[in-house]
Amino acid sequence: MIRIENLEKVYKTEEIETTALNGINLQVKEGEFVSIMGPSGCGKSTLLNVMGLLDKPESGSYKFMDTELLKLNDRERSNFRKANMGFVFQNFNLIDELTVFENIELPLIYNKVPAATRKAMVNEIIQRMNIVNRSGHFPQQLSGGQQQRVAVARALVTKPKLVLADEPTGNLDSSHGNEVMELLCELNEQGTTIVMVTHSSHDAGFSNRIINLKDGHVISEKINKGITEELI
Amino acid sequence: MFKLNLKIALRNLKRNFVISMINIGGLSIALAAFILIVLYVNYETSYDKHNPNYENIYIVGRDLKDFKTNFTPPPLAEIIEQNCPEVALVGKMTPSNLEFPLISDAGRIYIKNTMVMNFNAAKIFDLHPQGGLKQPQGEIERLYYLNEASMRTLFPNKKDSMPELVLMGGKTLGLTAPIQGKIVPNPHSNLQFDGVAIGNNLGVAEGFGFPNYYTYIQVKPGTDIKALEAKIDRLMKAGMIKEKIDMGSLKNERVFLDPLANLHLKPQAGNDTNYKVVMALFILSMLIVVIACINFTNLTIAQANKRAKEVGIKKVLGSYRQLLTMQFITEILIQCVLSMLLALMLAELFMPTFNNLFEVPLSLAAGAEELYWMLPLILLIVTFIAGVYPALILSGFKPALVLKGNFEAGLQTSWIRKGLLVVQFSIAVIFIAGILIVNRQVEYLHTEDTGFEANQVLVIKNQMMYNKPEVFATFRDKVMKINGVKSATVANVVPGGEQTGSNGYTVEGREALLDFIDVDYDYFETLGIKLKSGRTFSKEFKSDTLNAAIINETAAAKYGLLDPVGKTIRGCNIDYKIIGVIKDFKSQGFEAAVQPTIYAMKNPCGNPRLSIMLKVDAAQMSAVLAALKAQWSGINRLDGEDFRYDFLDDLYGRLFKKQEQLKAVFFTASMLTVFIAVLGLFAFAKIMTSNRRKEIAVRKVLGASDFQVLKLLNSSFLWMLLIANVLAWPLVYLLARTWLDTFAYRVELSVVPFALAGVISLLLAVITVSLQATKAVQANPAAVLKHE
Repeated sequence: MIRIENLEKVYKTEEIETTALNGINLQVKEGEFVSIMGPSGCGKSTLLNVMGLLDKPESGSYKFMDTELLKLNDRERSNFRKANMGFVFQNFNLIDELTVFENIELPLIYNKVPAATRKAMVNEIIQRMNIVNRSGHFPQQLSGGQQQRVAVARALVTKPKLVLADEPTGNLDSSHGNEVMELLCELNEQGTTIVMVTHSSHDAGFSNRIINLKDGHVISEKINKGITEELI
Repeated sequence: MFKLNLKIALRNLKRNFVISMINIGGLSIALAAFILIVLYVNYETSYDKHNPNYENIYIVGRDLKDFKTNFTPPPLAEIIEQNCPEVALVGKMTPSNLEFPLISDAGRIYIKNTMVMNFNAAKIFDLHPQGGLKQPQGEIERLYYLNEASMRTLFPNKKDSMPELVLMGGKTLGLTAPIQGKIVPNPHSNLQFDGVAIGNNLGVAEGFGFPNYYTYIQVKPGTDIKALEAKIDRLMKAGMIKEKIDMGSLKNERVFLDPLANLHLKPQAGNDTNYKVVMALFILSMLIVVIACINFTNLTIAQANKRAKEVGIKKVLGSYRQLLTMQFITEILIQCVLSMLLALMLAELFMPTFNNLFEVPLSLAAGAEELYWMLPLILLIVTFIAGVYPALILSGFKPALVLKGNFEAGLQTSWIRKGLLVVQFSIAVIFIAGILIVNRQVEYLHTEDTGFEANQVLVIKNQMMYNKPEVFATFRDKVMKINGVKSATVANVVPGGEQTGSNGYTVEGREALLDFIDVDYDYFETLGIKLKSGRTFSKEFKSDTLNAAIINETAAAKYGLLDPVGKTIRGCNIDYKIIGVIKDFKSQGFEAAVQPTIYAMKNPCGNPRLSIMLKVDAAQMSAVLAALKAQWSGINRLDGEDFRYDFLDDLYGRLFKKQEQLKAVFFTASMLTVFIAVLGLFAFAKIMTSNRRKEIAVRKVLGASDFQVLKLLNSSFLWMLLIANVLAWPLVYLLARTWLDTFAYRVELSVVPFALAGVISLLLAVITVSLQATKAVQANPAAVLKHE
């Protein structure tokens, strides 16, 4: 589904140039659950941002189902993003001024889903995520685990082909963290492709494949079968 | 979409209530001031605009090289009528400032400002007296109309529209006149009067030597005004040559046509100070709005941190920059609409006070026609100025950066915000220094020596002409018998802004135009005017009533006379002997320079002497007033029954009214500006300190004292203020110079107002910032850091 070739990304400030991505080659198949790991500053978040069209690389190619995405302009990028991708962040990133229901509804509005359908879709996902009794609350009124459930719900409500998760358990304690990971696994089993950046090898253990990054290079890749059961 | 964005906007307003209120409140105060001033400027610039022929009406004036006047001789109207087919109507009118009583069975009024005009003048000014505008019969008939108040006093029970007879002058005179009905002068017209007299023709017996009439023309649309001006100039000169008048000065004379639109604010025969004041006000109001817009921009950007996450998420979820820009502009537009509504309420609330101060009848309803298109326009402009920049900043956030969590917005824009703050404070400093300077000048007007003593001088209203000293002598003898009256005199004008006439006078072959003032004995003594050389008029010298003259220093200088006493000065066919020179005194206030003036007891070309002035002993003022009232009909038999008077210092004080008005407006505008600027700084400091809470906590953990942190927080603002002051000072200097130049007599600009403005602005800033900073400094660092 995703084919990335020779991706390069350099950050420049007045004094220093930092190479965040240095010729990355990567493929993700449909239905895969891929973890990207590596030390701080290895470029894993940058890679995820590029994959989510939130950041532009200097050079290279990024094909999504045979569409070259790096040639798109700003408007086309956001159109592509809203139609195909969902995001989960470490710090949840819910809009404080909107209720749970409204937060989840927002991507549907951007996708121009009619109001009645919207309501049904939001209600369905709220039930699935087990946050029905929270739908009128504001993010500040929820625990971290609950906030991340809302964020996942928001990422999934548009039924995206690809979910990008950036340290989704980073701000959660282990029991809430596990809940979120199980949620992602469940999604993956239902066919959603997931790419997740993480520090935690525990979390990475939930995925099919682990890619290790260092200094902007892919240094290793391993298939991860059966480990999940082992760890639990 | 819109609904959700509206929800976000409203919930944001609620969450940042104080700052939102400062934002909207500040803008609405500024807009309210702007609305009031726009209405005022509009009112002042649209005098007579209701006249259907507004564009086509001109007054004929004369440029006499030394000065310009709108007074023209009466035959001019006829020759224009006969020779200029492009002129549709020619009107002439003359003000009759002679105050006299009108008496009916029901009451009595004193009518002062009667406008005597011909039928065409009434048509040009579109007058609608009761019963419609009627053409008078023949050459002699005058149709009299009075204003509403006078009619109510004289004929309280009148229902019909039949003419009524009134007695004119004192009861003993037995003169009567028929009053046709009432006439209501439009307060928004250049033509103001208490009553009018309409005749078919005026000044028939007067030739080109009597320039006592205003000549108005209404031209046919499309007339070439320059050509017409030249034509009337030729006609005028031909007429004067025919009557052999002022042959020598003809070449210096020129006729001009001044459009009706100019007459109120910037008449050619006059000055454009009023116009400048109105324009200055307009600019002031715009500055206030600019300050409020800067506030708005700054506060919106300073709060960007709080909106950054929202922008990031929305972009991730599929929004893009234009959409977000539109969202923020819409949001700001809504705040501006709120401000505008609030501003309209505020304007309505302060309208009566404003109207009182400026003596205008403004109202939102009356100005609706202009406001209707102006307010939406202002709204859009303000939204654009205040909204576009923040909207671009906010919508430009990179989601990849913002969503990481520890994002500090605004660092890259801080110099712009600082720049805006500097501009805002520069304007505030201009206002602070401005008010100090205006204050000093107005103070100076009140305390500076005018060259004469207006205190304890009674000005008695009188209709009896005392042109001959021997007639006034009997009056003086009677008045001087009253205890406490120190001296008595009569003149054609009192020093309180009244204009006297002027004439050409020749000394040693040099001709110059001098103001003439016709006086009686004791004029200089009554007014406390100081003598420079020679003597004043005295009964010891019989010839003083025939050909003695006194000139002022300016007149002596004009002729270049070092020792004028004893020289001959010729004017109005009399060879006067100069018997004395007086020191200049400011009879016209402080704006106009003292004019070269000649004082004489005999002046065939002069005006009637009606203004009686008495110098009274301060301790006995009330006794003198009582005595005069009781004995008035005996003292001044021909004057009538009423003793009416003014104090000269009150009359003279009215000359400063405009400056007092200006001071009041300037003071209010300054207060508003400084208030809005301080509000802005307050909110800005609040946001800045809250953004720096972590830094403050870290510094405190590392051992900084509260005072050191306060100093740190203040210092960045103080730098900006210092720059603002340095930028503002030259501007203040220029503006103050320009304003002070409108005065012939003024204070010198010193360093004090500049320095004081600097100190005041710094103090305001330190207090405002410290109020905010103290809270942040006193917070427990452990709590802050844990929270982070």
